[in-house]
Amino acid sequence: MKLWPKVLLIAISVAIITGGVIAYRIFTKPHRDVTAEKAVTLTAQKLFDAFKTNEANANQLYLDKAIELSGEVMEVSTNQDGKAVVNFKTNDPLFVINCTFKTNPGELKVGTVITFKGICTGYIPDANVVINEGILIK
Amino acid sequence: MKHLSLLSFIIFLLANSPLNAQKIYGTRNAKISFVAPSDDDVKAVNNEVTSRLANNGAISFSLLIKGFKFGYAEMQDHFNNEYLESNKFPRADFKGTITNIKEIIFTKNGTYKAQVTGSLTLHGVAKNITANGLITINNGKISALAKFPIVMKDYKIEAASVTDKVNAEISAVYQ
Repeated sequence: MKLWPKVLLIAISVAIITGGVIAYRIFTKPHRDVTAEKAVTLTAQKLFDAFKTNEANANQLYLDKAIELSGEVMEVSTNQDGKAVVNFKTNDPLFVINCTFKTNPGELKVGTVITFKGICTGYIPDANVVINEGILIK
Repeated sequence: MKHLSLLSFIIFLLANSPLNAQKIYGTRNAKISFVAPSDDDVKAVNNEVTSRLANNGAISFSLLIKGFKFGYAEMQDHFNNEYLESNKFPRADFKGTITNIKEIIFTKNGTYKAQVTGSLTLHGVAKNITANGLITINNGKISALAKFPIVMKDYKIEAASVTDKVNAEISAVYQ
């Protein structure tokens, strides 16, 4: 057997295996599960203050991190995909921490203090800090 | 002093006169989704879009890039880290106007065509866009829907190996 068919065969095999591994990784990598992650613990007010004072600094501290947030429930609603959403109160009447649950938290009452754990996706000036993919802690 | 208080009373009346009444509707949980026309596995949704709509036609949308959820986690990582660089450019913003706002009667139920034009900032690049949308008024409840394409190279997004364009759809239910 000549050398080049062997080389070709090896090259094709390598390409197929590499492609397979890449595809396997794309289709099987699990989503983040906040339940198992160690979280930064703070209050809704503290999180708001951090972003309001210095967004770049707050992004360093909180963006993409698991956050365990405590605060007063100002509003409860449901998004267009049927997930529960809680807006936590801050001292600015127009500004909230907007938190979306990935699992159903059951009945939540306006005015009560709850603890929510989720992933912080960032800050929208004059509106809210967003945390999603969350679960109810207590 | 008497004149001053009269003046402030007149200013108060003017500021609150129904002729000037501008009403702003808002939501923090509008929904945007997109899909690549060539590969419908490449799709994502973001349910945390802040939007404001005023009855004078001003309309805005702000969203966080990290808020897009993909079916596949690996795609979501590539989207954030390589294509959209969401640590560097965490937000996308649209500020614009509904140019035919006079045709939309906020007090009358119906579905109205809306022509929207404005500036979309994505991946640090601002570009003027226009889109056709629909505004629905149902007993004071206002919702908006629009579909528009986003061409990757317009926003210097280097994603040619995946797609050169996505079709986006935005849906807002205002309070």
